[in-house]
Amino acid sequence: MAVELDGRLEAVVDHGADTRSLFLGLPVPFDFRPGQFISCRLPVGGEILNRPYSIASSPEETRRLEIVLNLVPGGPGSHYLFGLAVGAAVRFTGPWGSFVLDRAPEAEAVFIADSTGIAPIRPMLRRGVATATGRPLRLLAGAPARDRVLYRDELDALAREYPAFRWDHVPSAELADEVRRRWVDGDADRSRHFFVCGVGAIVPAIRDVLRHAGYERRAVQYEKW
Amino acid sequence: MAKLRVQFESGEPERVIEFDPARAPFQHDGRPGSILDVLLAHGIHLEHACGGNCACTTCHVVVKKGSERLSESEEAEEDLLDKAPGLTPTSRLGCQAVIEDPEAEIVVWIPRYTINQISGHGG
Repeated sequence: MAVELDGRLEAVVDHGADTRSLFLGLPVPFDFRPGQFISCRLPVGGEILNRPYSIASSPEETRRLEIVLNLVPGGPGSHYLFGLAVGAAVRFTGPWGSFVLDRAPEAEAVFIADSTGIAPIRPMLRRGVATATGRPLRLLAGAPARDRVLYRDELDALAREYPAFRWDHVPSAELADEVRRRWVDGDADRSRHFFVCGVGAIVPAIRDVLRHAGYERRAVQYEKW
Repeated sequence: MAKLRVQFESGEPERVIEFDPARAPFQHDGRPGSILDVLLAHGIHLEHACGGNCACTTCHVVVKKGSERLSESEEAEEDLLDKAPGLTPTSRLGCQAVIEDPEAEIVVWIPRYTINQISGHGG
């Protein structure tokens, strides 16, 4: 069995009606790689549910984790977490996952994040700009409007600080077409590295657009929730 | 009835499970009728940190017999296995490999450890 840790809910920040960040204080330092997730063990209905949540905070912050979640209609795990009050314990295992960025690639890096898929991308971006090699870093976010992109103020600040980084958004339904327009039809460069995260079928759809266009398999990393 | 024989690197005694694939799902994690689904429903712990959503490799198993009787692996599973420690030619993710054939006899081997990929070196 994996080692279990107990976090304590220290703060709650609502991004909207049904999207929330939870900040978990930790009794011991917690090492992880940008992009990884924790697996919460939630006591719901007389059993323990395993629910994965990407870590939205950075590894440099070792005693406090941020996770972001949507309230899923009929979803017992998210309802349980939304019902927690500050001070509550949250048991979890981790870190897990191989969707990671330890340092910026020696190529243009393109991050594609649909909605809360920005969660693991956020620490990857921070690591990416901190280790940038002069190659461009791009983020394309899927959101209905610019003011609905999570962490937009921070992204703007990052873009001001690091000229190699730029970001913008398109509606989620247009993500795959926009990816094709920019990075498939736009030029013949197939050296870019992609990091794609989101919920559901949009993620393998974007993966297929890129790989079928000639990008190397391992240059297209993704995580589908 | 399909038969799933489970062997453990840890040295735990072998378990043999007989079940009717048509009755899947047997619980709520992993694809219905998957190795993970069957094991969990029969009280056998198999780590599945991502909840059985094909987003990690903690349910990695080695199929020692009957791999041709399992559902074919999809690209997402192959991509994850590509990064799995201890990968073998008959490795599968327990949450994705579905036993559909009621006559299937499958033997799986469960590695001893799960790895929290902190350092990238299996630490």
